[in-house]
Amino acid sequence: MSRQSRHVQEYGTTAIIWMAATMVVIPFLWLIGDLLWNGWTHLSWSFVFSAPQNAGREGGIGPILMSTMLIVGVCMGVAVPMGLGTALFLSEYTRHDHVLGRLIRGSLDVLAGVPSIVFGLFGNALFCQALGLGFSILSGGLTLACMVLPILIRTAEESFRAISREQRLSAAALGLSQPTTIRTILLPAAMPGLLVGGTLGLGRAFAETAALIFTSGYVDRMPESLMDSGRSLAVHIYDLAMNVAGGNPNAFATALVLVGLLLIINLFSSWIATRWTSLNQLPA
Amino acid sequence: MNKTSKMPRARNPATVFLICLFCVCALLGQFPAEAKEEQLVITGSSTMAPLVSEMGKRFESLHTGTRIDVQAGGSSRGIADVLNGLADIGMASRALKAQENDLYGVVIAHDGVTVILHSNNPIQALTDDQIKGIYIGVITNWKTVGGLDAPITVVNKAEGRSTLELFLHYFTLSNRDIKAHVVIGDNEQGIKTVAGNPHAIGYVSIGTAQYDATHGVPIRLLPLRNIPATLKTVREGTFPLSRPLTLVTKSSPAGLMKIFIDFARSSQVHDLILKQYFVPLQG
Repeated sequence: MSRQSRHVQEYGTTAIIWMAATMVVIPFLWLIGDLLWNGWTHLSWSFVFSAPQNAGREGGIGPILMSTMLIVGVCMGVAVPMGLGTALFLSEYTRHDHVLGRLIRGSLDVLAGVPSIVFGLFGNALFCQALGLGFSILSGGLTLACMVLPILIRTAEESFRAISREQRLSAAALGLSQPTTIRTILLPAAMPGLLVGGTLGLGRAFAETAALIFTSGYVDRMPESLMDSGRSLAVHIYDLAMNVAGGNPNAFATALVLVGLLLIINLFSSWIATRWTSLNQLPA
Repeated sequence: MNKTSKMPRARNPATVFLICLFCVCALLGQFPAEAKEEQLVITGSSTMAPLVSEMGKRFESLHTGTRIDVQAGGSSRGIADVLNGLADIGMASRALKAQENDLYGVVIAHDGVTVILHSNNPIQALTDDQIKGIYIGVITNWKTVGGLDAPITVVNKAEGRSTLELFLHYFTLSNRDIKAHVVIGDNEQGIKTVAGNPHAIGYVSIGTAQYDATHGVPIRLLPLRNIPATLKTVREGTFPLSRPLTLVTKSSPAGLMKIFIDFARSSQVHDLILKQYFVPLQG
């Protein structure tokens, strides 16, 4: 191969890779820019905290924000302990080729690919009707929990598996019991990975529309208990944009709040992850 | 150690699971079904849901101790939920069908449906036959009906939407005859689709379309049989394609249901109906 053609090849590859990377950034910036352009002027503290009026064209999103927090709270409250438990079971309590482990992994992979509207119908049938919870924040949160469990478990399992065997052997050599090993060695070491999984799960929960419209419902009143129906931010955006004439400005402002919330969660969790790592890397 | 401590190994995931289960049960137990408030669950038509939500809020403020929960999902779902007891009242943005005559329907307002085009489309009116021809795929180019030389994009409503049923009934079509390029759900979605495509044709609720057209969205409402598509012609009953917004119950309404339905038909909610761009019952 001549020297020149090697140069062309090298520059060509570099250019293509740079172009690909730039094109990934453009939609993100475009989206944020569009939201800011259309939503910023409608955004204010009173918008964030007051109740919607005239089908959401006027007023704010206070009760909707509250419902969203409760739905996501129920979801993570159920999904995190169950997810951690299952991930520990898969990585610490069974061999990689254990029958039950393989069954769980297989079903999780299928669940992770199920469209969210199917979770919505499932949640409506199981939680709202069969268990009699009706349209409620609890039904919505539990449905979301089923949806984010696969993400949580698979990321958590991977982070536990990434911990070197020597650490477990050292713990065993010191005579530490399995629960102590998990608490003092494995959980801290896996924490950055667990945070990434948790953030992905939180993001999916916050942004969900289809799974919630038939479970937590459409009511935009301030929720008084977990048995009340409550509209989530994403459902509100969908309704304003697709069903309410003149709802666009508030749809943009609501979307801005949602994206802002997700950005804050992302930044916060990566901040914790870096702090955690630096705290746990003691000088030798 | 690794091999001998079988007990904690086997017990731990089970314990974690039991704790989770316990948490859920505790959560459930904390909130017994609240019987102190009188509650109505209303589900159905997404066209009606914003209106009935607003009516519900006003009703709650006038009758303390009542709760009106409105859920959207389409007229068919409203009817189904009333039949299987999930909802006290269903919302259907159409008249009840003959096979639904075991249900009780009460009209609370009217809505017109009309054909919309992009405002850059030079066509000002279409005959019923032309619209029918476009929707069954006989006419595929605007040139045929006196417009520009451009292919027509047919926007149709999704199955289960009462606007679709009304449209099919008026033009005596079956949904299988329609050659649609885009299938949409809610009204605003239809308007956004047509506003974004100069060669598209769609049909939506007149109130919503009129609001958007006067607020700078590039769409035009076409007259039907030479009658302009306005809220006024719907109110007068002259516009040919209109539908009643109906509240549906399983039995003859009584108690809180009756109080709410009477309220929804009263002049106390006329301003709410007008604010959602529908036509109140009288005057």
